[in-house]
Amino acid sequence: MEDIVRSSPAGGKPHAPIELIRDLESTSGYWAAVWTMCTMPDVHVICDAPIGCFNLVATAVPDYTDAIPHIHNITPSVMREQEVTMLGTAGAVRKTIEALSQLYPDKQLIVVSTAESEMISSDHSDWLSKLDPPIPFFWSRSLEGDEWEGRDRALLWLWERFGAGRAKISPADQQAGRLVNIIGPTYGCFNSPSDLHEVKRLIEGAGGRVNLVYPMEATLKDTPRLAESAVNVVMYREFGELLAQALGKPYLFAPMGIQQTTAFIRRMGELLGTQAQAEVFIEQEKRTTLAPLWDLWRGPQGDWFATTDFAVVAGRTYTEGLVRLLADELGMKLAFASSRPRQPGEMDNIQIRETLHKKQPAFVFGSLNEKIYLTEAQAKATHFVPAAFPGAVVRRALGTPFIGYSGVIYIVQEIVNRYYELVFNFLPFDNVAAAGQLKAVNNPLASANKLTWSEAARARLEQQLEGIPWISRISASRELRTKVEIHAIRQQVREVTPEIVEQALAQP
Amino acid sequence: MDPITVPEGNLITPNLIETKGTPSEPRSPLPAGHSVSPDHHLTPQTMCPAFGSLRVLTRIDGVQTAMVTDTGCLYGLTFVTHFYASRKSIAAPAFGTKELVAGNVAEAALAACLEASKMPGTKLVAAISLCVAETAGLTEEMLPSQINGVDVILVRVPAYAIHSHPEAKDVAINAILKRYAPPKMEVTGDGVEKPLTYDSGNEDEEALRRKVIMLGEVFPADPISVDAVLKRLGSGLAANLPSRNLDDYKLARRVGAIAAVHPFYGGSVATLRAAGVPIISGAPVGPEATYNWIKAVGAALKLDPALTEQVAAEERDKCQSIIGQFPLEGRVLVCGYEGNELLYARLLVEAGAEVPYISTSIQKSLYTAADEAWLKARGTREIVYQKTLEQDVHALDTYKPDLVLGTTPLSAEAKARGIPAMYYTNMLSVRPMFLSAGLAGTIQLIREALERAPRYAWMREFFEGPRPAEASPSAVNTMD
Repeated sequence: MEDIVRSSPAGGKPHAPIELIRDLESTSGYWAAVWTMCTMPDVHVICDAPIGCFNLVATAVPDYTDAIPHIHNITPSVMREQEVTMLGTAGAVRKTIEALSQLYPDKQLIVVSTAESEMISSDHSDWLSKLDPPIPFFWSRSLEGDEWEGRDRALLWLWERFGAGRAKISPADQQAGRLVNIIGPTYGCFNSPSDLHEVKRLIEGAGGRVNLVYPMEATLKDTPRLAESAVNVVMYREFGELLAQALGKPYLFAPMGIQQTTAFIRRMGELLGTQAQAEVFIEQEKRTTLAPLWDLWRGPQGDWFATTDFAVVAGRTYTEGLVRLLADELGMKLAFASSRPRQPGEMDNIQIRETLHKKQPAFVFGSLNEKIYLTEAQAKATHFVPAAFPGAVVRRALGTPFIGYSGVIYIVQEIVNRYYELVFNFLPFDNVAAAGQLKAVNNPLASANKLTWSEAARARLEQQLEGIPWISRISASRELRTKVEIHAIRQQVREVTPEIVEQALAQP
Repeated sequence: MDPITVPEGNLITPNLIETKGTPSEPRSPLPAGHSVSPDHHLTPQTMCPAFGSLRVLTRIDGVQTAMVTDTGCLYGLTFVTHFYASRKSIAAPAFGTKELVAGNVAEAALAACLEASKMPGTKLVAAISLCVAETAGLTEEMLPSQINGVDVILVRVPAYAIHSHPEAKDVAINAILKRYAPPKMEVTGDGVEKPLTYDSGNEDEEALRRKVIMLGEVFPADPISVDAVLKRLGSGLAANLPSRNLDDYKLARRVGAIAAVHPFYGGSVATLRAAGVPIISGAPVGPEATYNWIKAVGAALKLDPALTEQVAAEERDKCQSIIGQFPLEGRVLVCGYEGNELLYARLLVEAGAEVPYISTSIQKSLYTAADEAWLKARGTREIVYQKTLEQDVHALDTYKPDLVLGTTPLSAEAKARGIPAMYYTNMLSVRPMFLSAGLAGTIQLIREALERAPRYAWMREFFEGPRPAEASPSAVNTMD
């Protein structure tokens, strides 16, 4: 059957192998542009799109990623069959512009291409530039790039078109003002309200003042003010660096883990000339925000970090940050990590799925995709922790950061609490609804002294336990042994054989 | 889609009133300062149409989907499928400029189908062809009918050509029916070719011929209560489509009648009619329609008329007694995009509510005509098909409702004005509504929502401040 795929078209050369995708985790440049530009209330985007592309990006998905009813400042050109096959979309775009210009005379209209409009080569830049006033057109490269590259390009484009050359501030003022921009948070950035809150706290602690949070808390008219800051903080490794480079000021990435956060505060102090304040802040943080880590480390909870494994599939910032904190600093065992956008050598979803089907770490930080793979594997002893989109999750509270010192504590607290949960779920209990049945579970175990286990059967059970995370293995071994012995008694055998073990394990 | 004709067995509305061209009520003047002119119909309201197909297909056991499309589309549709349809992994080929330039759309589709077919237990792989693949020209001939012994079908759902997601459910079901329940023709003794509806003359087949398949995605409790009523008539429900069991689709040609309870299955209905299966349209919602529907089933299956009359009357009386106990009072707008809005509106109207405005994403057809006529005869002033957000928001101004059952943006707008509102898809479309059993739950939900009005007013005032005086309405920017 593989032959079908490799077969060459009639008369043609064999094609390059088809790259396969499972459960795509990164969206397109079109989504990136909308999710970047529409955060600013004085922008109104016209997407050159069929109704589906509009609905998904503006309502169906941000309902569940950003917990907003819908993105209000976007309107589709509503491409229909006639536009696709005959007319092109210029007429539909023009009609939409006319209506929106009446409705929102004070807003900046921006036309954004989509995969489908690019497919039919609907490049509107020329005629849009001749309108009075001209309307900017953003070619989103939705048939090539991914969302990370898309956000990167959109941010740079916004600066070049609406910011560069319009700034009015001297370098001396910047230094005196100790102003810092935060570049990055857009719609569709997992957990960004909490992380942003923490980054602001770190900047202020180090002696800086937050200027613009771009684009999430800015307007388009604010764009020239990006030039006011002495230092820029880029929230994500995935995107935003292009804009920081164009701004020409020193920039730092938002930090994760104990050491990187400490280094971030120090470096910020150096750049702003507030070294002494930064050092005081670090010392204060050790006694306050970070104190729980020192306490947990010295307590019983600290002991099992080294015996617990985890995996991460998330954006590059979170993937690198979690590996740094959990593996390098706390000593947890890293099962695997794969960042988005994927770096060379990192697993794609097809490989991640296979890996998770074979063996499940105690903790998996990831998106809904990893949760589905764990569900497919019926992994009961693994804790899934949301750490990336896609997935429906509300992350609007300010107290769930992954970034900074607060992030260290939130993550460690989350892991310890989930460990408690795991312990709880494996303890014996009285089932009120099926009170009689509990005895039936216990009795065979008590009478199991009469059962003997063959060596091979014992080995088979051990092998099964190998696949279960260490922290829950003791409880699981008891549970599995009970299951096998109940099965043996029901089968009225005196010896547990590998076959009996297999049969018992095969039961749901 | 095939042209739609009046289905046989449509006995539900004795007076099928032609409503085409019926002028809607004159619009009331817009309040001053309103920022959206009703003349701008900018924002059609529907979930991405393709999702309708994915919702149906991914929920069937043994079906895997392979989506052929660009990354933005794939991301969005995978997201909503994993949220609203099934927790199944979805395979796709990378499909961008590189693949398009190479011209290997068929190879890409095939490779994804192959990957999808590897899942143990797969019986059918549905290749979902979306906007970009359709534009690139993916056609049925490019795909084999089987891969590795697994059936393959192509489901073509470009959003630019199919305008609503309910109608895309029809596309998916029709594609399965064409594969698993295609018409079989026989030549009778006098040389006439007609559809063969019996596969054989055995007892099981006879029993199947006394049963009904319901066509329309409904809450799982509805088929159970419908089956119970049909059993009293000596009939029963053979299946409900869309079903999670692929075998149910194979029965569709062999049952005594298909009850198309939602009005947007024109394609599937045409396929089944061509196979010779009688079609019953309409649904058992509210006393009158419940009575008529049971009678229609009795007539289509030639069941005992006296018994049918008795059961139909009993069920109608049960509905009426529930309404007598819990009547509705208030003005409700029904503005979903699920395609079953007219049915809900009927139910609400019979329970005592005033429903002046109804809107939906589907197109007007002969299957909506009976309900439209019934509703317009009972006070509904506007019914809008393929509606836009702007029309719905205008209706908020015109009709000043006590409750809005709307799309997400419309419900958000109503709540921003302090009007109780619910997202139709999540809160109503997924509840039982048929017969007396469904009626009770729905009425209760609506009554409670109407009672919550002070809460909506309080929340609005907390966030937006005191409401300005009635004489000068504030500029409500509907898209902000």
